[in-house]
Amino acid sequence: MVRLRVTVNDRAVERDVPERRSLADFLREDLGLTGTHVGCEHGVCGACTVLVDGATARSCLLFAVQLDGARVTTIEGLTPPEGLSPLQEAFHECHALQCGFCTPGMIVASHELLAENGTPTREEIREALSGNLCMCTGYVNIVRAVERAARSDGRA
Amino acid sequence: MSADRAAPWVGVPYPRKEDARLVAGRGSYVDDLTRAGLLHAAMLRSTHAHARIVAVDTREAEALPGVLATLTGAEAARLSRPIRPLIPTPVPLDDFCLAVDRVRFVGEPVAAVAAVDRATAEDAVERIAVTYEPLPAVLDPEAAIGPGAPLLYPELGTNVLWHDVLVYGDVDGAFARADGVLKERLRIQRYASTPLETFGCVVEHDAGTGSYAFWTNDQRPGLTLGILAESLGVTQSRVRLCCPEIGGAFGNKRRPAYLLVCALLAGKSGRPVKWIEDRLENLTALMHACNGVMDIELAYRGDGTVLAIRVRDIADEGKNLVSPTQHNLIKLGNIVNGYRIGAVRYEPYSVLTNKCPSGANRGIGKPFMCFAVERAMTLLARRLGLDPAEVRLRNYVSSDEMPYTTPPGAQYDSGDYAATLRTALARFDYAGWRAEQARGRPQGRLLGIGIATSVEPAGTNLASYELVTGRRAASGSAEAAMVRVEPDGEASAAIGDPASGQGYETVVAQIVADELGLTPERVHVQRGFDSSTTPWLYLSGNYSNKFSVTDVGAVVGAARKVREKILRIAAHRLEVAPADLELRDGAVRVRGMAGSGLSLREVARTAYADVLGLPAGEEPGLEARHAHQNTLAAPVDARRRVRSQLVFSNAAHCCLVEVDRSTGAVRILKYVVVHDCGRELNPLIVEGMVHGSTAHGIGAALLEEFHYDAGGQLLTASFMDYLKPTTLDVPDIEVDRLEHPSPFTPLGAKGVGEGGAIPGPAAVANAVEDALAPFGAIVRELPLTPERVWRLMREAPGSEAGRRVAPAPGDAVR
Repeated sequence: MVRLRVTVNDRAVERDVPERRSLADFLREDLGLTGTHVGCEHGVCGACTVLVDGATARSCLLFAVQLDGARVTTIEGLTPPEGLSPLQEAFHECHALQCGFCTPGMIVASHELLAENGTPTREEIREALSGNLCMCTGYVNIVRAVERAARSDGRA
Repeated sequence: MSADRAAPWVGVPYPRKEDARLVAGRGSYVDDLTRAGLLHAAMLRSTHAHARIVAVDTREAEALPGVLATLTGAEAARLSRPIRPLIPTPVPLDDFCLAVDRVRFVGEPVAAVAAVDRATAEDAVERIAVTYEPLPAVLDPEAAIGPGAPLLYPELGTNVLWHDVLVYGDVDGAFARADGVLKERLRIQRYASTPLETFGCVVEHDAGTGSYAFWTNDQRPGLTLGILAESLGVTQSRVRLCCPEIGGAFGNKRRPAYLLVCALLAGKSGRPVKWIEDRLENLTALMHACNGVMDIELAYRGDGTVLAIRVRDIADEGKNLVSPTQHNLIKLGNIVNGYRIGAVRYEPYSVLTNKCPSGANRGIGKPFMCFAVERAMTLLARRLGLDPAEVRLRNYVSSDEMPYTTPPGAQYDSGDYAATLRTALARFDYAGWRAEQARGRPQGRLLGIGIATSVEPAGTNLASYELVTGRRAASGSAEAAMVRVEPDGEASAAIGDPASGQGYETVVAQIVADELGLTPERVHVQRGFDSSTTPWLYLSGNYSNKFSVTDVGAVVGAARKVREKILRIAAHRLEVAPADLELRDGAVRVRGMAGSGLSLREVARTAYADVLGLPAGEEPGLEARHAHQNTLAAPVDARRRVRSQLVFSNAAHCCLVEVDRSTGAVRILKYVVVHDCGRELNPLIVEGMVHGSTAHGIGAALLEEFHYDAGGQLLTASFMDYLKPTTLDVPDIEVDRLEHPSPFTPLGAKGVGEGGAIPGPAAVANAVEDALAPFGAIVRELPLTPERVWRLMREAPGSEAGRRVAPAPGDAVR
C-alpha cells in the first residue's frame, strides 16, 4: 500500500492504494466513479480516457500511485451539476452514441480537442478521436457532434 | 416539442431518452454493479488447441490468502449438468461449463477461482497446475472433413455436424440450358463485432431458498435463463436473470458457461461473485463469426439473367456445440439475395475445428452469402461486358411480384430493389466517378467503384432448425411487452428484449405515446430486463433483427389493451359510448366537445383507488401484457422450404476506393448507402444503425481477421493485432432512404440493425477489384489488408499489363 494524494474532479482525495492498482480501477472501485469505462486494458480502445493535468491519458495504463500530486478529471467532472455540457448536448442532439460505453472517453477526448482548438476541421476531429474506438456508431455522428459543439461554443 | 399534437410520434427523429445518463457517465453496466461481500472470479484457460487433461491441481491456489473457492472441470461435472444446446448435435455431447477431460481450443476455460479481488484471483489462477497430454489439432475446416482428421469428439465419429444437399427447383435443367456457368471459390475470414463492453456477470446464490440471481449483459435472457436452471438443477422459478445497460452486443454477448462457473463459485464460497471478461479472453474465447469456404456457381443466359445458383458452403464452427449450423441455415434463407433466381442447390457443411466457438455476429452468415453472390454478380458483369449495375437491374425481383417467395421459401414482402440501386447510383454520381476513373487510369491512378446490394431479413423462425435436426423443438418468432398507466397517470412500459444500444427506451416510448395520447417524455420504459418483473418468453432477447417484427407488435398490443380499458372506464364515468371518446394530450375527451372529458390521471385514480367507479366487471388497475407472434413464421414444408427469417429490408451500397500502388493500402473516398427498412420508427436511430452497421462491414473488408497459426494459437488476440476501424478508416457515410412499409409487421417497420454489415464487405471488395482492373486481379478473400492487395497486384495474371500502365508495386526498388 502506498499513500496517494490526488485531486479528482476538483476534490482532494487521500487514500492508501495497492501499488499495482490501475488508475481506472482506483477511480471506479475506490472512488465509485464508474463513468470511466474499461474496454481493453491495453491502451487501445480509449474508453477509459481521463484528463491528467488537463491532458488525455489512458487510465488503464497508469498506476494510481503515479498520480500523486496530479489533477485528474473524469466524465463526472466534465458534467455540470445541472443539465449537460454543450459537448454532451451535441452528442445527444446528433445521436452520437448508441450503447454509450465509449461515450465518456469520447467526450473527454473531444473536450481536450476543443480546449486546444475551438474551430477544428473535420479532419482534425477525426485525428483527435482516432485513439477512441466506437463499435456502434461508425463515428459519423460523433464527428458531427464535435463539429456542432465547436459551433455552439463559438456562438456562446 | 409540443404536447398538443395530432401527428404521431412514431416516425419522428426524436433524440434518445437514454442519452442524458449515458453522456454523463451515469449508465449502469454490469461492471458498475457491486454487492456486499463481492468476490471476483478469474479463469484458467487452455494453452493448447487440443489436449487431454491429465490432472488439475488447485491446492497452491487455494493456499493463497484471499482465495475463497476454486472450481475444476471435474467438479463442475459433479455439481452441474451439461449445457443444453440451441441446436442439438447428432449425438448428445456432454458440454460442461469448464473443460472436463479434454480441451479443444486455445482459451477454453479449464478452472476458475473466486477471491477477494480480481488481482488476487488472477494470481491464484497462475498457481493452478494443469498436466496436458497434447493431441493433434485440426484448424482447417476442409481438412477437418477429410478422412483421418483428428476428431474433436471421437464419440461422434466425425467433425461434421451437418452435411446435406438441399435442392429447390430444376437446378440441373437450368445449368444444362444456360449459355454459361460462372464458378468461383471464395473465402471469408473469422471476425467479430467485439462490443466495446466485454461479457460479464454478477451472481448471487441464496442457500436458504436454493435460488440464484444473475446480473449479466447476456443478450438473450429468455433462452439463457432456462439453460441456467437446467444446468444448475433448479426450477426456473428459482432463477432470476437481470440485464442492466448492455454496452453493445451484436450477437456476441451470450455464453451461459461463464454464468454457470460463477454460480458454482458463488455456491461454494457462499458469497456473490463477479466476473468481467478481459479483452484477451473476449478475442480468444467468446465468439467469432464462422470463417468458411464457398464454391458458388451461377448458371446464366447471355443477357446476364441468372437462372440458377449452386453453392457448396463449408462453415468452420470452431468448438461450437451451442448453435452449429446457424450460419448455414441463415445463408440458405438469403441465398438468392433479392434476385429472381429460380433454382437453388445448397450443400452445407457445419464443421468442428480446434478454434474459438463460432456464433452469432451481426448478420450471421449473411455477410459471406452476400459477399459470394455480389462478387459473382460483379464477375458475371465483367465476363459479359455489362455494367455491374445493369446486371443487377436485370435480375431483381420486382416490386409488383411481391410478396415473392424464393425457391428455399423466404418471402420478400415489400420494396423496390431497382429503385434502391438507382437512387444510390444517382446519389453517388456513378456516371461522374466512372468518368473520373477513366481519366485517372492512364496516369496509373487506381480508383475503384464497388456496388453491392442486399436484402436484410428480420425476425427469426426457430422452426428452421428442423431442417437440420429433423424434429421440431422451439419454433416461430415472438416477444412480450407490458404497458401500464401508473396510479399518477404517467405511463411505463417494458419488453423482454434488452437493448444494447438500439434506443428501445425511446422508440417504445414513441409507440406507447401514440397509442395513449401522451408525449414520449411521459412514458418511462424500463431499462434492460429483469425476469421477475419483465414479461418474457423463451424467445425473448436481442437477436435476429427482431424488434420491428415482434417487439413492436407486443408493445402495440399491450398499449391498445390499456387504451381500450381507459376508454371503457372513461365512457362509464362520462356516460357516453367508448366510440365517442378520443385519447389525446393526456386526457380522454368526448369528440367534438371542447373542454369535456377526464384526464388520464383521473382515469388512473379510478382504476387503482376509486374502484367503485369502475364499470361492472372491470378489473381494477390499468396495465396489460401482450405477446406478439409474427404469423409469417411457419413450419418447414414438404419440399423443405421454410421462412427462416420473416421480412426483408434492402440496401444498395456504392463505394469509391483508391489503392496506393506502392503499398497496397486502400482508402475509402466515398461511401453511399441507400436503404429501405420499411416505415422508419425513428429516423435518427435508423440512420445511426446504418452508419454503425456499415462500419462493421468496412472493418471486415479491410482490417479484421482472427489469425491462427498452424498449432492453433491465436495470433491476433489484442486490439494491437486485431484491428478495428477507427475515425481514420470509416468515411463520412452518406445515407439516403426509400420507405416501402411491410404489410406483415404491426407498424410497417422492418429490420435495420444488420443491413450495413451484410453488403459492406462485398461493396468494398468489388471496389478494390475494380481499382485493380489493370492488373486483372480477382478478390477471393478478405480482409483486403495492404499486404493482400499488394500481392494481388504482384501475383495477378495481368500484373504485367497493369505494370505497363504504370509501375507496379515493388518496381521502384528492384
